[in-house]
Amino acid sequence: MSSDSNEPAEGLHNDAIHSDPTRDVSRRTVLKGAAGFQLAAVFGPFDGILGFVTAHPDGTLVDAAPDAIVQAGGSRISQWLTIAPDGTVTITAHKGDLGQGIRTTVAMIIAEELDADWEHVKVVQAPADNAFGNQGVAGSGSTSSMFNSITMGLRTVGAAARTMFVEAAAARWGIPAARCRTEKSTVIADDGRRLTYGELAADAAKRTPPAANAVQLKNAANFTLIGRPTAHVDNADVATGRAQFALDPVRPGTRYAVVSKSPFIGGRVRAVDDAAARAVPGVIDVVNVGNGVAVVGEHTWAALKGRAALRITWDDRGNAGLTSDGIMAAKAAALPDAPPIDIPGARVVASTLDLPFLAHATMEPMTCMAEVVGDRVTVWVGTQSPQSARQGAAQAAGVPEGNVTVNCMLMGGGFGRRGGNEWVREAVTLSKRLGAPVKLLYPRDEDMRTDNFRPASHHRLRGAVDASGRIVAWQHHLASGGSGNGPNQNLANQARPSYNIASPDLQAVGVGDPLSVGAWRSVSHSQINPANEVLMDMLAHAASQDPLAFRLANLTNNRLRGVLELAAEKAGWGTALPPRVGRGIAACAAWNSYVAQVVELEVAVDGRIKVRRVVAAVDCGQVINPLGVKAQIEGASVDGLSTALGAAITVDGGRVQERTFAEYVWFRMADTPPIEVHILTGKSSSAGGMGELGYPAMPAAVINAVFAATGVRVTRLPIQPADVALAGAPTPVSTAVSTAVPTAVSTAVPTAVPPTAPPPTTVPPRPTDGPGTSSSKVFLPWGGTGRP
Amino acid sequence: MARHAFTLNGQPREVEAPDDMPLLWVLRDLVGLTGAKYGCGEGVCGSCTVLVDGAAVPSCQLSVTEVRGSAVTTIEGLSADGSHPLQRAWMAEDVPQCGYCQAGQIMGAAGLLAAKPQPTDADIDAAMAGHVCRCGTYVRIRAAIHRAAQEARA
Repeated sequence: MSSDSNEPAEGLHNDAIHSDPTRDVSRRTVLKGAAGFQLAAVFGPFDGILGFVTAHPDGTLVDAAPDAIVQAGGSRISQWLTIAPDGTVTITAHKGDLGQGIRTTVAMIIAEELDADWEHVKVVQAPADNAFGNQGVAGSGSTSSMFNSITMGLRTVGAAARTMFVEAAAARWGIPAARCRTEKSTVIADDGRRLTYGELAADAAKRTPPAANAVQLKNAANFTLIGRPTAHVDNADVATGRAQFALDPVRPGTRYAVVSKSPFIGGRVRAVDDAAARAVPGVIDVVNVGNGVAVVGEHTWAALKGRAALRITWDDRGNAGLTSDGIMAAKAAALPDAPPIDIPGARVVASTLDLPFLAHATMEPMTCMAEVVGDRVTVWVGTQSPQSARQGAAQAAGVPEGNVTVNCMLMGGGFGRRGGNEWVREAVTLSKRLGAPVKLLYPRDEDMRTDNFRPASHHRLRGAVDASGRIVAWQHHLASGGSGNGPNQNLANQARPSYNIASPDLQAVGVGDPLSVGAWRSVSHSQINPANEVLMDMLAHAASQDPLAFRLANLTNNRLRGVLELAAEKAGWGTALPPRVGRGIAACAAWNSYVAQVVELEVAVDGRIKVRRVVAAVDCGQVINPLGVKAQIEGASVDGLSTALGAAITVDGGRVQERTFAEYVWFRMADTPPIEVHILTGKSSSAGGMGELGYPAMPAAVINAVFAATGVRVTRLPIQPADVALAGAPTPVSTAVSTAVPTAVSTAVPTAVPPTAPPPTTVPPRPTDGPGTSSSKVFLPWGGTGRP
Repeated sequence: MARHAFTLNGQPREVEAPDDMPLLWVLRDLVGLTGAKYGCGEGVCGSCTVLVDGAAVPSCQLSVTEVRGSAVTTIEGLSADGSHPLQRAWMAEDVPQCGYCQAGQIMGAAGLLAAKPQPTDADIDAAMAGHVCRCGTYVRIRAAIHRAAQEARA
């Protein structure tokens, strides 16, 4: 129904329907066209007090109300909204929360137009139900579609309900609705009489929803909640341990299952000797689940011990020779030959960038709880695609989808990982077989190696500036993954830089990955944007220009300009820094939002890197929740630092080598610098996407900062100490100053950076990105500010 | 299989469990306290952290035998109503995103404050080194720990 969540991440500058109330003509046009559809979709038959029945488009009747609403009681205004006599406003969030704060955002948008008293708003989670439209969470599209769209937007949901309260009060008082206003869940007449929403709820619920063209949306200038820093609605539950994830509901008779899947990429079970596993006390069953084996126990510990006792012979499917170096070499080899840039008088730069496979590594591994009773199926799962989970559960149980209830739990991280339903199918299969509720857990190593990884990619970057510093050539040729082989014009189109580049030479080829690959926070932007922002930096240095000034001189988009200027200003861009300390800047324009990030870091002589500071400026148009924007940028910045300096998925002998956070090195407390987030407002009245925006500039900002600090142009991520150490210095295994801690109780984490290198005694040449110098090490003569 | 007695959130508790069963699964699967979370099972992520006799430890790395006679405090026992200074600080700083690691983070911070009521940034770095947050909430976690410490001083 809605187009929001299937919007591809690469949907740059998607023109969502404009909701600016000042643009009355266009808004009315949209409303008229969509009126019937909107109300049919939002307001099913509702019968006032209880009776939580919603008609499906297909005519079946299901219970679309979360249990919590049924228990809470109150009057049901619509499937989104129930008001209790005490004034409690219960809002249904139809999209799942994985740390992006969407439950808070949904409630804020509805509550704003409803004029609800935020202090008495509760949020419950909708089960998977087509009555809510597409419940998927992907492509940074939820907020923009919910806020901007008139036809499917949540502002209309709140405003229509507000109208019903006004009409209910006006009817009681026998006055025209026009004499009433609303504030904090109260209708106030012009003579001062007041009725609360709680007092009016039963009346309001019986009213016919207004015609869509009678619904008045607020002018943004009158927002009292949207734009206000608002603490996330689940904070108290999280801080007290009450927050419910998929494995947390306690059901009598529950069985506990874990899986063992092929350690070989694409491998299959050839034979299983489960005698030892079945002999483990507490093990109940061992089940072949197709591409792996599940062990079921009386508790998780029995299942884990049973799993360890399994003797499985794997069929490596001929993949035992796979290595990540080989995979990357194949990608590089797949790029078509291109002659070097040959423009008389131009300064030419050339480099490459290799980006690795990345795992999602959500803190909560893939989990699902399922209970099959007769032909009814109940599933508890954290999912980015509730409808897909429901389909998978129905197919696994062999029942109609209408027999399946999917309780959408909080997700312990997602980043694109939870779009699948394999673990849902497995849990349902096991529950049906055992006749008991089953909690299915992918142990960390299984979760990591069975991931759908961010594809690895190889980028060939070339460009040239003329004597005046004008960009006269731009080549970005990349080979990425996915299932398709051969030229990929769509991907090439996505590689178009955000700067004004005349006739960029963009080519992309797909090289089928042997690993399963999928969407990872920011999808192809995570590959393309770092490459573009590195090439831009190389060209700036070739033109002997400051990287910020060079960017500003080569753009016309004022929103992009705004974030670059603000981030630079707040970061003290251009001020002096000690030796081997550098600042790098990079930007990203996507999802109708803009960000620029400045990374300041220090490269020790042995190649270890201490990030000193991150400063971000963001313009996402209409801000719903500034605290949400701040959290998304802080978190995605940590992702960017972690993947630039620590984490990668590697393959050797046909096996994914990383098992857990000991090998997949993510930033921790000691690694994480202060991160400042500055928000620019007022440049657009539509809401842009925020969930992925903070990632794609970060790897480039790190690479550019390392260049500023050392003169080394990094050509692969994650950066290895040997790539950036002073010649001759012994190097550690990781650039991260505090590398992964082998045991949780260790306190021996080095936090101090070794003494910095003494300044060079002779003035070295200016660093360049010319051909053949991409891995040379050159001192910066100007103290590492990155400025000429 | 044997009976194991320990103190759980201030109350005496006995469980029947295999000797080698990690405290994490005792809490989650036998007792029904699900605040402590599984993240890795190897003590490298901190999601399952609880206090044992006042010290923050990953509950996946301690067998039930090892906690016999000890006092175990989980997130549920820190305070039922969220009134503990750390819980209030976590809410005030709007720390959680997905929330999965946060019970462990809070218990890690509780162990730190018990030992060092006024921690420095370096103390926080060291004490929280065993914790991973994939949402990257570290900046706000640090602020929340400082806030709770400051509140205790005031």
